[in-house]
Amino acid sequence: MRRLPDNRLKLTAIRLAACCLALVGLAGCGEPPQTVFKLNSVELLKQEKLFLSGGQSFDDRYSTEIGTILTAFFGTPDQPRVPKVLPEEDPAAEVLSQEKLDAAAGPVLSTLGDNGYHGKGLYREHCAHCHGITGDGAGRTARSLNPYPRDFRLGKFKFKSTPLRSMPTDDDMMQLLVKGVPGSSMPSFRGLLKSDLEALVDYVKYLTMRGQYERYLMAELSNLEEGEPLINLTASGVQDEDDPAKEKYLDSMFDLVGEGLVEDVVERWIDTDDNRSEVPDAPAAMLLDHPDHQALVDQGRVLYYTGGNCAQCHGESVAGNGQTETFDDWTNEWIKSPGVDPFAPATYADFTAAGALPPRPILPRNLSSGEFRGGGQPEDIYLRIANGIEGTPMPAAATLESDQIWALVAYVKALPFIDVDQRLRHKSVNDNAIAK
Amino acid sequence: MKSFFGRLVQAKLCPTLIASMVFSIAVTGMLFAAQQASAVMFDGGWGTLKGQIVVKGDVPEIPLENVGDGPDKEACLVDGVVPKDDNLVVGEEGQLRDVFVMMVTKGKGENAPIHESYDAEADEDSEDVLSIDNVACRFVPHALYVRAGQSVKLKNSDTVGHNCHIITFTNEHNINLPAGGDVDVVLENSHKTPGQVKCDIHKWMDGVILVRDNPYVAITDEQGNFEIANVPEGEWEFQFWHKKGAYLKKLKVDGYKVSRKGIIDVKIESDGELDLGKMEVPGNSLNK
Repeated sequence: MRRLPDNRLKLTAIRLAACCLALVGLAGCGEPPQTVFKLNSVELLKQEKLFLSGGQSFDDRYSTEIGTILTAFFGTPDQPRVPKVLPEEDPAAEVLSQEKLDAAAGPVLSTLGDNGYHGKGLYREHCAHCHGITGDGAGRTARSLNPYPRDFRLGKFKFKSTPLRSMPTDDDMMQLLVKGVPGSSMPSFRGLLKSDLEALVDYVKYLTMRGQYERYLMAELSNLEEGEPLINLTASGVQDEDDPAKEKYLDSMFDLVGEGLVEDVVERWIDTDDNRSEVPDAPAAMLLDHPDHQALVDQGRVLYYTGGNCAQCHGESVAGNGQTETFDDWTNEWIKSPGVDPFAPATYADFTAAGALPPRPILPRNLSSGEFRGGGQPEDIYLRIANGIEGTPMPAAATLESDQIWALVAYVKALPFIDVDQRLRHKSVNDNAIAK
Repeated sequence: MKSFFGRLVQAKLCPTLIASMVFSIAVTGMLFAAQQASAVMFDGGWGTLKGQIVVKGDVPEIPLENVGDGPDKEACLVDGVVPKDDNLVVGEEGQLRDVFVMMVTKGKGENAPIHESYDAEADEDSEDVLSIDNVACRFVPHALYVRAGQSVKLKNSDTVGHNCHIITFTNEHNINLPAGGDVDVVLENSHKTPGQVKCDIHKWMDGVILVRDNPYVAITDEQGNFEIANVPEGEWEFQFWHKKGAYLKKLKVDGYKVSRKGIIDVKIESDGELDLGKMEVPGNSLNK
């Protein structure tokens, strides 16, 4: 029997046994840092619209407190930190290396300083223009790109070997850096040293965790009483554990640190290799010169219009023109707020003012283009169909057997080489086949 | 072993930063031991919590579902017409469907004893399978509570294809459901607040789902009624949530104070039945 709380109890024990946490204020270090992480103002506004009445805002103190908590655990863009929560157990260190974070962080080409800091500024050199210092997908170039650069803070990744809500493996992320994302503005970084790429993989994971945790904290605001802090630090020194203030303080530590940071954010990155979906061997008929290849493609064609449910979104002509008015999860995060109509800019001016990029519907892939963002190998396409694509409407083909999925892969691979008239004929041929 | 605080001090931080460090704590496991004991041994009795939720005052106008003129329109009509949005379903006498009544799991409720009548639902292999069906492009039921680890059968009784896309804070499934298809999924992870069920092909379809390990949850039926049986005796906090009203802080419960998080404190007695009676929520607060 699955008993999730046991884990939590275990963690609670460890946490309570000797929990030491230091929070560091941002201010007061001589020169203010040049580069800072941006607050997720869009998420904050969303929470305000959901939980406060008519145009009210959360007290500014909460923005400050969230900033302080995040800095305590994650440091700054110049001095990132592997979040350290439990003295005796160090889950974050299993998935992040301080050395790699240091290499990725900092100003471009920064070198070893007196403080031992030796960032090479890899992230700012190669990534930040599009993905932003904070990993919010809103760097300087973001507005002129389509699709928009990925906002890491939602903790979702499209192209990976693991199912939905399992974090990608390091190798998945590495492959993306090496190959780029065809059909988007994400280039290949294969020219970089492998060690630099590894540093960037860790840094992206780091920004993701930080962003996820920030969202977690913001979601907690609606659970607070008026004026109550997220973590009532003044009670931390109280010795009497039956003191209500102390009890409340410990509760918030369980919730916000144990559950929020350790379980919901950090631990999900551990052992991601174990979550990989298996791709069964492709049938021999996948080979173009195999005598049964055409039959496999034909089987895929029928499935495209029937049990695969593909035509509803990708269109009867496969041009990606079926359902074209849905949005991805990064956009759905805020356009579902009360009063927002993603097709009427006046209804979301406050969100764009807070930093949201203007919403664009997510278009189903035009399967005749021959361009596959998550990779064009048959195994890549198999994973996209079998698992679905996280953060998008693309569902997992859970009702199909693996040989049916391979048939769809064969059809999808064949589509760029079939002209439009023929594809449309497919539809009517297929209708007849089904009618029979 | 040096504390985290100690190591942080060792790190090369400027002195003013160190001065601004807020705290460092070291506490014993006593509290934990006490909590664990309460979770294992409970020889108290069990009681029932029930009540009815109705809307008071004008109900906000309920729009029609945005079915559009797509090729699937025919399959998405109910009795031949475009149905009303099912996020707010109010009976003739104001009975409010789909309010989640949930034990607060923070604090007192964290380790609430769990009655054996709830054991089956926590078992992944149990016969007791929940389902979400797609009927005329609507999720049936519209609102669902699932015990963490429990299986849910996703079905499609329609003649058009759907996807069933479940998103909670820590769970996600997006399952393709061709006409007549069904797939079982397991929702693993608990979270305090409900998440969403949607269909990306028919974007007006949007249900609500709560996945929690604490079984003391009910959803009001068409009569606005709810009942939670086998609640352990003692004092607990219960919270009221509806998709269109978020936390029902304006709910009026006779004899109880409702907090701004929509929470009331209740006392459950052994073999007792606590009836909260008819509770009223102002119609104009259901505007989310």
